Amino acid sequence: MLTISELMVKRGPRVTLADISFTLPAGKTLAVVGESGAGKSTLIAAILGLLKPSFGEIAWNGAPTRDASPALVMQEPRAAFNPTMTLHRSIMEPVVAQNINLAVGRLERLCAGLELPLDLLDRRPDQVSIGQAQRAGILRALLASPPLVLFDEPLSALDAVTQKHTARLIADLQAEEGFSALIVTHDLGYAVAHGDQIAVLNAGRIEEIADAQDFALNPQSEYCRTLRDAAIALGALGAVA
Amino acid sequence: MTLTVTGLSATRSGRTILHPTSLDINPRERIGIVGASGSGKSTLGHALIDDLRQQGHSVAHVPQSPDEALDPLRSMAFHWREAEEALGLHAGQADRDGLFRALKIEGGDLRKRPWGWSRGMQQRFVIAMALIGAPDLIALDEPTSALDPVVAAATMELLSGVLDGKNTAMVLITHDLGLAALRVDRLLVMEAARLVEQGATEDILERPETQAAQALSAHRNWMALPC
Repeated sequence: MLTISELMVKRGPRVTLADISFTLPAGKTLAVVGESGAGKSTLIAAILGLLKPSFGEIAWNGAPTRDASPALVMQEPRAAFNPTMTLHRSIMEPVVAQNINLAVGRLERLCAGLELPLDLLDRRPDQVSIGQAQRAGILRALLASPPLVLFDEPLSALDAVTQKHTARLIADLQAEEGFSALIVTHDLGYAVAHGDQIAVLNAGRIEEIADAQDFALNPQSEYCRTLRDAAIALGALGAVA
Repeated sequence: MTLTVTGLSATRSGRTILHPTSLDINPRERIGIVGASGSGKSTLGHALIDDLRQQGHSVAHVPQSPDEALDPLRSMAFHWREAEEALGLHAGQADRDGLFRALKIEGGDLRKRPWGWSRGMQQRFVIAMALIGAPDLIALDEPTSALDPVVAAATMELLSGVLDGKNTAMVLITHDLGLAALRVDRLLVMEAARLVEQGATEDILERPETQAAQALSAHRNWMALPC
């Protein structure tokens, strides 16, 4: 379980996150939504241990999150890979570097789950579609069976149909593998459809944290209603009269 | 006046990136060109704009990101002046105040460079520039994808309000049928560089015939809310 309590992060003199407290149980999904500059990416950096909290604690089962080796799926799938290497080499690099023993057939099983043909991994990132590159990014993140996976806008580079397909594959793999997922997204539709809980960040603070379905139907604050209504006005959430 | 293009096509390095496509657009009509990444929707948009301009129609183009439309080294006033000049207008002849009010950017400081404005305001400034001189057609290529949802929703709403009562037709190019469905009367569905299906928005949503239209229609929302 990921536990964050009273987290404050400063960048220089500026407070970018303040008074952040929540728990993410094992196997569950927390979607963090908010506008640009709300502090979503800072939160990811703090959980990864790349930014030191000025106050408060981040822990995985009581130990530093670093011990859990959380994995990260990045926003720009092609930029997330070394353009001069094949996908296979990029994907295996962390496994080789950390001397991790993979279960027999692990790579093949994940590839099947992500609908990635094995021979596609012999290509470089510019030789596959963006959707395939993002699925390879997810493959790399999941290969070493991390208990916690952070997704930073994992779908925003994909088209609408590919987004829903990729989201489905992530959800199916999560059900199989049991990792906890923290998904940072500006797309409230995705957050509601695939999050167990939703946390809305606004100017570095948690505006509201709630069960996903409850949130969509009945956002509590004015700001959260604005976000929900924008998602409806953009067709991300359909409205049934 | 109806805008007509016949047999538009395009090739790149010997590969056909747009198969022959013909199209009529009525004044005030709002059309959505939808399709997956790489389906040829932007190519059709560009070919359409080029052909109509060659026929002598005035067509304004709003790119995906305001970065593509605005020079970071020039002030907003300079961009506005340049847009007026391009249409052969004198300085100050365009109804800047009216357009700025309608798009809610009247508070923007024109002496500043683009990065002195928020992205949402930059995008609405680009839309205001596009609407100088009441063009026959305004073509918008993924106009909301570089914006936050709240800003994007407001931009689409304001754009819709500005176009109401004008003769300007609109072409909205997007991968997102959910967005298009709320804003256009007619949909053109692209797949593999071809226009594979077209029809009234409701018909395509309810009775999509091709596989491409079915996929778009089935995945247009993340979920439906009873509200």
